[in-house]
Amino acid sequence: MGEFKGSFKEGDLSVALSNDELHILINLVEQLLELLGERNFTHHYQSDDPFAQLMAASIGNLESRIEQPEDPVLHRLLPNAYADPESAAEFRKYTESSLRLVKQTHLMYLREQLVFPVDHELPKADIAVTDPTQWLIAINDLRLALAVRLGINTDSFDEYEKMKDNDRQKPLFAVYFWLGSIQESLISHL
Amino acid sequence: MSSQTQLDEELDLSKFFDNLWVAIVWDDPVNLMNYVTYVFIKLFNFSKEKAHKLMMQVHTEGKAVVASGTREEMERTVQQLHEHGLWATLQRDDYGRV
Repeated sequence: MGEFKGSFKEGDLSVALSNDELHILINLVEQLLELLGERNFTHHYQSDDPFAQLMAASIGNLESRIEQPEDPVLHRLLPNAYADPESAAEFRKYTESSLRLVKQTHLMYLREQLVFPVDHELPKADIAVTDPTQWLIAINDLRLALAVRLGINTDSFDEYEKMKDNDRQKPLFAVYFWLGSIQESLISHL
Repeated sequence: MSSQTQLDEELDLSKFFDNLWVAIVWDDPVNLMNYVTYVFIKLFNFSKEKAHKLMMQVHTEGKAVVASGTREEMERTVQQLHEHGLWATLQRDDYGRV
């Protein structure tokens, strides 16, 4: 069930993940990377100049105001830093692309770590965890994204336990709570 | 007229308070208590006790001030909190005014 063992301090922290668990995690990571990738303003620049493209990629489109994302998942992952919309938009103009990049970097790191066992007969992959912070943040972003889609609130676990087995949303809720247990397990091994 | 007014003008207290900003973390139903505590320790070098106390304040009161400083410092802090998936905003410190 995605249990961590060993300890980060001792240098032998690892996690055992079944093929199914790896498939689920990879799928979630790739979906979120795709969503974050869509929030990209560089296409406003129709320049062939590599330097202009680089500048656009690093600072975003400073000509125009950048509104908060419409997609509620992106809104949660890239939130407003100010209650006042004007200040929030101004701050977002200079910082959203770097925040997005940090999140993409964590997710890409996690994606690279999720490797199936070479021996296909093995029931689980035993993955060494050398950078638990990146694991934690990436898994947390997956939980935040799923939580928005599922409308998670403080009563959600009780609702999940009462769900019928044929409820189409039940497997997604199960994944959400499973990610939480992975996160708890990882923190307890730091 | 009064010495207090003179003192206020010399120190320009209003200007001082205008430069004080705070970073606030808001409660949400997703971030795990252990994770929030972990982030506070990592970002602010808080002791486990202080981090736990602040996390509980976020959880029970709905929000907590986790840092204060200049506007630029608090913008950086809020950005770091967002990088870790916490829900945070910055604002002028209202509490400093008497």
